[in-house]
Amino acid sequence: MPEQNNDSNSPFISAGKDIDVNEIMEHIKKRIDEKKESGVLKQKEIDEIENMELQPLPDFLEIPNVYEQHLFSEDIIKNYDPASIELESDGGGGPKGLMKKVFRIIRKPLMPFIRSMVRPINNELKAQINIDRKYIHQFAAGIEYIKLLHNTSNNLIVELSKLKIEEELLKTKIKVLEDKMEFLENRERAIEKKLYQ
Amino acid sequence: MAIHQFLTSYSYGDAIGNEALEIRNYLREQGVESHIFALFYHPKYSDQIINYLDYDKYSDPDNIVIYHFSIGSKITKKFLRVPDRKVIIYHNITPHHFFLDYHRILAKDCYKGRIELRSLSDKVHLALGDSIYNEKELIESGFKNTGVLPLVMNFSKFDVPVLPVFEEMFRDGKTNILYVGRIIPNKMVEDVIKTFHLYQKYFNKNSRLFIVGESRGFERYYSAILDLVEKLKVKNVLFTGHIPEDELISYFKIADIYLHMSEHEGFCAPIPESYYLNIPVIAFNEGAVKETMNGGGILLERKEYLSAAAMIDKIISDPGLKEKILKSQQDGLKKYFSNKTGKILLEHLEVLKG
Repeated sequence: MPEQNNDSNSPFISAGKDIDVNEIMEHIKKRIDEKKESGVLKQKEIDEIENMELQPLPDFLEIPNVYEQHLFSEDIIKNYDPASIELESDGGGGPKGLMKKVFRIIRKPLMPFIRSMVRPINNELKAQINIDRKYIHQFAAGIEYIKLLHNTSNNLIVELSKLKIEEELLKTKIKVLEDKMEFLENRERAIEKKLYQ
Repeated sequence: MAIHQFLTSYSYGDAIGNEALEIRNYLREQGVESHIFALFYHPKYSDQIINYLDYDKYSDPDNIVIYHFSIGSKITKKFLRVPDRKVIIYHNITPHHFFLDYHRILAKDCYKGRIELRSLSDKVHLALGDSIYNEKELIESGFKNTGVLPLVMNFSKFDVPVLPVFEEMFRDGKTNILYVGRIIPNKMVEDVIKTFHLYQKYFNKNSRLFIVGESRGFERYYSAILDLVEKLKVKNVLFTGHIPEDELISYFKIADIYLHMSEHEGFCAPIPESYYLNIPVIAFNEGAVKETMNGGGILLERKEYLSAAAMIDKIISDPGLKEKILKSQQDGLKKYFSNKTGKILLEHLEVLKG
């Protein structure tokens, strides 16, 4: 954006020495004020037009074709190990200090019930981890498959976006051709008129 | 001794191509052997333009080779390798940021162009800008031996009548506003449309805007411009695309005002052309525009669309003011006659001979 003379008091035009810039400025201001006073012209509308920006279609090149790296970073896949998952031990976490003691006292008589309720879940989790350890390779293959699915759907979206952009550009071209056709028709009519004269 | 010219691309209607052609014709008239060598050109010009790779057959240390520099290109390498005495005519490079959102390749070429320009600074014998603005850029880029060569303007081509069909179609009482130039982001065609929209809406419903120039390569920008026209519901805007010279001249001749809102210009040929055809010019003061206006026309110091629209109305409705503007333009036009430019070029080259 070039540097503009933003001093609103200075004339917004400049011209040759024979031209009275101040008189022109005064005339312009008067004309605009007249239109504003008569309600024909609204400042809000002018501001809206001044601030209106072009909204170009996105560039094909700006749309990434794959996002595999972002979604499935190699580090995350390599470091995935179900054996490293630890279940919460009885003594770990939870409130500390006096509160902890209070909880322990309240929990103590309830422990048999808690154990009987939690143990099946605990056993289930342990069993799942064992299964995971056994089927880790199949699981990795599953990740590959999911990766493929994600890439496929991503590429589909990319291609659809590109097609949409292309459609918009083709619409522009059609509009241009329509305008040209209209112009040529007018031209043809004008030639005919001239000839008949 | 021969004086040859290098161009990146030669296309019909292009200001640089026209200048190269005018220089060649002038040099030939003076009895100097002269050819134009280009990287890109349409095959139909193959009788006038030679492929730059064939230059070795013409190269000679006694020759002068003039390179019209306006963008980064591989022709620069060839120019640097030949043993001839080297001159560049700098036509300015549009800052790459204008193209970032619309044409990445061109943005890259413009960026590279400025780097290439700096690399040429100690390798050419003479560097000419086609305006003082461009010469200033050459000096800033490190060139020592610089000068100004005003763009060769051939006004005689305008001395033809308007196409009768254009008379019939467009001399219908409407006020015709004209913009000539490519539809590319630095030309700020959107500002021309906004100004025209306000003029049409608040000052003169009976008006029409001609946007004369091609948009090839900038389809997304053109599409956004058409979108703006639709949003603003502007009527009577005609995008002509690339047109033959006789039609271009006719558009100039039926225009009542020439409006230019570009934010980067190294010269701006349509301004003196409008001067020649007695069309009042309103242009935004940026780049070399003020220098090209040469004291004529009306310069906009700020972008106030409504005031610019009111300015158009003032010129149209005040014949006295229009007269004064046209007089200032006639005074400003005096420096643009081609015989003078050709003479200046030979004077510059004379120094090289010595």
